[in-house]
Amino acid sequence: MNSEKIVKYIQTNCKADDWSLNISEDDSHETRFAQNSITQHISGATKEISLSVSFDGRKGSCSVNQDNEESLAYLLKTAEDIAKLAPVDPEFVPSEGKKDIPEVDNCDPETKALQPKQLVDIVQTSINEAKKFGATVSGLTEKHIRSDGLFTKNGFAGEFEYSDFGHSMTLKKEEVETKVSYEAKKFADFNLKDLCDKLQHQATTLAVKQNFEPQKIAVILRPVALQELLWFMGWMMDRRQSDEGFTPFTDKIGKPFFGDKFSWYSTMQQPQLLSLPYSSDGIISEEIPWIEKGILKNLPVSRYWAKKINSKPSSAYNMYIPGEGYTEEEMMKMVPRGLIVNTFWYIRSVDTKAGEFTGTTRDGVWYFEDGKIKYAVNNLRFNEIPHDATRRIISTGKSELASPSSLLPAMLIDNFNFVDRTTF
Amino acid sequence: MNYLDLAMNAAETLGAEYADIRIQKTIDQVIYLQNLSLKHTSNDVQQGYGIRVFKNGAWGFAHNNVFSDEAVLATVKKAYETAILSAEVNKDKKLSLAPERSYLATYKTPIKIDPFNVPLTEKIDLLLEVNRVMLAYEGIKQARSLLIMHKDEKLFANTLGTRLDLSTHFINPVITAVAVTEDDSQSRTFDEGGRAIGWEWILELDLINIAKQIAEEALIKVKADTLGEEQRRALILDPNHLGLTMHESVGHATELDRVLGWEADYAGVSFATPEKLNNYQYGSELINFVGDNTLEGGLATLGFDDDGVPGQKWYIIKDGILKEYGSTRDTALEIGLNSSRGCNRATYYFNQPINRIPNLYLLPGTKPLTPGELIADTEDGVYIQGRGSYSIDHHRINFQFGGDFFWEIKNGKLLRPLKKVIYKSYNPEFWNSCDAICDERFWRPFGVVNCGKGQPSQTARMTHGSAPARFRNIRVGGSQ
Repeated sequence: MNSEKIVKYIQTNCKADDWSLNISEDDSHETRFAQNSITQHISGATKEISLSVSFDGRKGSCSVNQDNEESLAYLLKTAEDIAKLAPVDPEFVPSEGKKDIPEVDNCDPETKALQPKQLVDIVQTSINEAKKFGATVSGLTEKHIRSDGLFTKNGFAGEFEYSDFGHSMTLKKEEVETKVSYEAKKFADFNLKDLCDKLQHQATTLAVKQNFEPQKIAVILRPVALQELLWFMGWMMDRRQSDEGFTPFTDKIGKPFFGDKFSWYSTMQQPQLLSLPYSSDGIISEEIPWIEKGILKNLPVSRYWAKKINSKPSSAYNMYIPGEGYTEEEMMKMVPRGLIVNTFWYIRSVDTKAGEFTGTTRDGVWYFEDGKIKYAVNNLRFNEIPHDATRRIISTGKSELASPSSLLPAMLIDNFNFVDRTTF
Repeated sequence: MNYLDLAMNAAETLGAEYADIRIQKTIDQVIYLQNLSLKHTSNDVQQGYGIRVFKNGAWGFAHNNVFSDEAVLATVKKAYETAILSAEVNKDKKLSLAPERSYLATYKTPIKIDPFNVPLTEKIDLLLEVNRVMLAYEGIKQARSLLIMHKDEKLFANTLGTRLDLSTHFINPVITAVAVTEDDSQSRTFDEGGRAIGWEWILELDLINIAKQIAEEALIKVKADTLGEEQRRALILDPNHLGLTMHESVGHATELDRVLGWEADYAGVSFATPEKLNNYQYGSELINFVGDNTLEGGLATLGFDDDGVPGQKWYIIKDGILKEYGSTRDTALEIGLNSSRGCNRATYYFNQPINRIPNLYLLPGTKPLTPGELIADTEDGVYIQGRGSYSIDHHRINFQFGGDFFWEIKNGKLLRPLKKVIYKSYNPEFWNSCDAICDERFWRPFGVVNCGKGQPSQTARMTHGSAPARFRNIRVGGSQ
């Protein structure tokens, strides 16, 4: 049953005062390889139909993954039965009404047309290159064509489709482990040879390693590492949580709380970036500065909290951080010594109110001095407060796509707080 | 012909060396309240089937949510064709499957009261009362309660002739109180991590009294001192804290797929490599870890895994020495094991199963020892309850953990409550520093229902457990 028929079914049969229907699908092919063999290989499509209904502010919801009439009847009855039994929600907001939905270009025909054999050929080439290099490689090659639809009783009706292609490789040669990855909506921008060359170059420069003790030191965080840290900070950037005193951003809107070299926008103007036109509850994506030249301009606001504080709801649907355009080589010359971090791993909150996180480096750490890489070093653990770290930004690179939703530069940050080291 | 037989016959006709089908229906009922607002009440159903085909040393897996003969046959064909594609790549390095026999069996989680049969209003009213109780305390600015009820119904068949009918449950209540002062915010959470049991557990728990305790402890915590500079101290870890430490530093480290490098690109590898088997001093002589997928109430007690291998019980670490791993049919032969330990599990029907941590627990001490006696025997240390911040490197060596509630121990007494405590250690320092474990009277299970691993990411569940234990000379201090 297509979306139109599902919506029609709900429109015809739902007795609730209000309803909101989400329909999402993911047609995917995932080839997972490790140590030069394919270990998992998955093909199929999934579907999720979620219905939320309300009677006089009493809410209930249900989801199913099948679209036959029997499943839809179950979906409707279950959601309605739950709502009838639920207490009135003091924070109830009606579903979103009719909206003008922005046009977005998130689905690439070339990505959509990719066949399983092409994905396997990419894996085969990656393994062949690793073998020639005397190494093993592990990774994931994947393709997804996803669609989302949101329909409400109050007239919201939106549907969009988006594509995703990804290829990651972790190379292991003797004690060296390092990783490169590509993930974007467009397959056309993917260049396997460049990625393999980059991987082997990283491995070569990591071959000579020395012990390095934890300390506060300047770091160049590559875009993939930086985006991981910033998304964790981003999850704390909630207006209500901040207004109620749970985060470091309480009472900081309009103030220079970050470093003045740091801005963060959600935007639909960067064609490389995935920009979903609306959130799962119908908040329309708009151009929005979250942080501009260090000043906290906005925090994402839920529909309920927006109503309560007389504001406009908003969501951080992607991350665009403009950069100054410096190269890694130029940044290395700006400080006497420092480290280059390829990626981070296992970042977790240590202190929510302080905004402090911990995590470790992964997949390559290089020590540089006098503007040049000297050798690789062991992995390190950090305990750091990202918003405070932005006040120590010395310079930034050119914005690069680190994931479909993140376009940001490498950053040279002073006195990054490494507190422990690993044994490898 | 039923879908199980249809699929297996079709796979054999196509030429599969091995194939299985898992028809799975998963139902999650989730109730979440924030303060007095019912944020989420849902009933989510995922229903479909996944078919694995093994051919020429390679897997193909395809899934579908359409139930018809045509759809099942098309899915078998897709899985077969996918395996053939994989096999082209694996020509030089084929996978192989450990031998296994066939089974005709059923398994059901023993529950007295099916949580799905308890009226929804009873569940919501209970959670509303829990939140009301917490919000009645001045200084508690947010009360959260979450109840997850989960049911999996599986029919499994493979080309060895196995036919399984499995029905498993778990339930997981979580309660959080958040206290806010002018300059800080601290939460305290009740979370035992879920158990494979029915609603009778909720009745036993007395969540209202737990809510009072949680709220009072959040208020104590927000006003508590911090520990200051990092120093080497003793740690006494409660089972509801130690569960996560063992999960990260022993459970994941002894998954055989990580040991083999199969998770190198994402979840990471393991330092506990095969040459260390039977000779590596992972912990002190007190340390005995058992893998046990037969544990009563265990979240990974499922009868059989998704390879069709029955639940087993075995030593992973004995008297401090690394003995074995959690393994699957496609990993076991890689290190010369004769058979799988039955640790291959998938989350939903559309997931290809992967090597997961079994129920894994630390055996209690053999000499009588109470938590009170353990504290009385400790001059300078910190007692930690509950799970907090946790992070470990991708070889499972270096780690940093926080907790949820802390007491400073001085001269055998709980001196003062603390907040923002973290400790840092590494394998094998940490487990070798264990010098005391309370006896079996104080052994408690701790569940994990959201263990993330794999690409595409899957969440698995398993139960850990221990009695309170002491670790000497660990780096303990405050966060920044």
